[in-house]
Amino acid sequence: MTALSLKNINKSFGEIQVIRDINLDIKPGEFVVFVGPSGCGKSTLLRMIAGLEEISSGEFWIQDRRADQLPASERDIAMVFQSYALYPHMTLAENIGFPLRLGNQPKEIIEKKVQEIASILRLEKFLDRKPGQISGGQRQRVAIGRALARDPKVILLDEPLSNLDAALRLEMRIELAKLHKQLEATMIYVTHDQVEAMTLADRIVILNNGEIAQVGSPLDLYTKPANTFVAEFIGSPKMNLFPASITEGHPGETKINLIGSSSNLMVNKDIEPNNELHLGIRPEHMTPSDEGAIKGIVTSTEQLGSDTYIYFDSETKEQAVARLNGITAIRTGEKISFDASQEHYHLFSPGGDRIN
Amino acid sequence: MIQPSKTQTIIVYSSAITLGLILLCPVLWLFIMSVSSTKDLTTLPLQWIPEDISFENYIKLIGDVDSTSAESFLYALRNSLIVALSATFLSLCVAIPAAYSLSRLPGKRRKSLLFVAIATFMMPPVALVLPLYSAMASLGLLNTHIALIAVYCGILVPFTTWLLKSNFDAIPIDLDEAPLIDGANRLQIIWHITLPIAKPALGAAALMAVLMAWDEFFYALLFTNDIRAKTLPVAIADFAAGRVADYGLISAAGILATIPPVSMAYFLQKSLVSGLMSGSVKG
Repeated sequence: MTALSLKNINKSFGEIQVIRDINLDIKPGEFVVFVGPSGCGKSTLLRMIAGLEEISSGEFWIQDRRADQLPASERDIAMVFQSYALYPHMTLAENIGFPLRLGNQPKEIIEKKVQEIASILRLEKFLDRKPGQISGGQRQRVAIGRALARDPKVILLDEPLSNLDAALRLEMRIELAKLHKQLEATMIYVTHDQVEAMTLADRIVILNNGEIAQVGSPLDLYTKPANTFVAEFIGSPKMNLFPASITEGHPGETKINLIGSSSNLMVNKDIEPNNELHLGIRPEHMTPSDEGAIKGIVTSTEQLGSDTYIYFDSETKEQAVARLNGITAIRTGEKISFDASQEHYHLFSPGGDRIN
Repeated sequence: MIQPSKTQTIIVYSSAITLGLILLCPVLWLFIMSVSSTKDLTTLPLQWIPEDISFENYIKLIGDVDSTSAESFLYALRNSLIVALSATFLSLCVAIPAAYSLSRLPGKRRKSLLFVAIATFMMPPVALVLPLYSAMASLGLLNTHIALIAVYCGILVPFTTWLLKSNFDAIPIDLDEAPLIDGANRLQIIWHITLPIAKPALGAAALMAVLMAWDEFFYALLFTNDIRAKTLPVAIADFAAGRVADYGLISAAGILATIPPVSMAYFLQKSLVSGLMSGSVKG
């Protein structure tokens, strides 16, 4: 059973195609995060699900009902806007109760429901205030409260935390995760922040140029990125991609040469002879070693206390980065060499698709 | 805090006082004329401050119901109220959904429609009056309230639509999409969200519309011919049209005619204060 399913969804604004052939099934109760750089189409896709944007071609199903022609008000989908979009002339209670009032519910039921939601979101004390009289975090909670009012099957959240400061964002992120467990509602969440995506999602959908780059659990995306786009997008600092070539292949063993460098790396795997490829290694998997195959000169360091980021120009690639635990004494201008164990190698074809 | 210099203060205050005087002098002079005797107004050199103040002119207009001046003034007041308020009400009924659609709904042709509407507003009345007159005549509507209300709606609808549209534009689009998702239809959005938020603009539009209809002279003069439909500007002009113009009476009528719109402006003042938008969307 699926809560939502998107089949070959396309969207064009005039000549410009912003969403290309999206296929996706979302299970009931799932927390799905759409993530991608700005302009990748994630918000447009969310608005198409909400019914605020027409679907140019393809099919959209809510459970077993075809919904692409259904007006927004009949989809039983709630949405939390990035700007909160609270009604400024109504009190918080009226804001939260507004969807119920539109549904012509009796007053007592509306009041009861508003109280119930307010207690979940810790808003009881503020119910007779107006949106102008409360803080950003509280406004955010009211916006969520309004979305919960009708017990919708699906809740859409469009970058809901992007207007909050860092501390509040962290707090709301944890609250959202709790709320999702408590409500067991299907949630679709749009963000450009990979940390939010990694921490909240059951499943992440990474979008690039209107296409799905990869769908999977947060750790799947981290450990097995399907292409160089996902590899670079997930993880911070981003994965190093070194241009490389295969020099020798024996059964069960392949020798990889980093271009511009004399050192070779061995992989215990058969790889089809391919002149060129990209070798990806995450910064946190680089370990300093005197005999390391990846050599370079340190250009800058960033001390974060818990970690140190070391930026260096290697023989193969400028501005590579390594992430070391704790505080290190490495200084700018030093020569440095790194190694990485081969289970942390990510190999990509010249076109960017994963090989191993 | 920066203290303004003395010269700055003097310049600001004297400019304000000058502006105030320029605006108030004609009103003050009108009032003085209305309480002066005809003798004081016609002597040379002019008697600026009347010797004896008398409110006789006012009594003639509203106190002594049987006199002809009172009859024509009070009927004209009634006609003006009916015509201005109905025209305003009807135009707002049309302009609100029109402005909403021009501001919110998609389509390129919709935008050009707004230009057409504004273009009709720019047209000089002289260009329209003849066809309108013959149309009204053949419909048998001359010298009726309906004729004036219809013509005024023609003037007010483009104006109020344009005024409201630019105000609706200032409301974030999210405040349209949120109720749409909450289950509202377009009319409910207008009623529950757009109008309460645009209340100051609505007040301003209503006030401007009433004033425009209240002051209109040209069509009223041509389309009406007796107390059944004559509005105040025409009635006041009639006082001046006899063999002897009674300036005191005309001034008193003028003062009385300003009272309804001025009091309306006073009561709408509260709703004209903006700032209702705070806290709805981030910013």
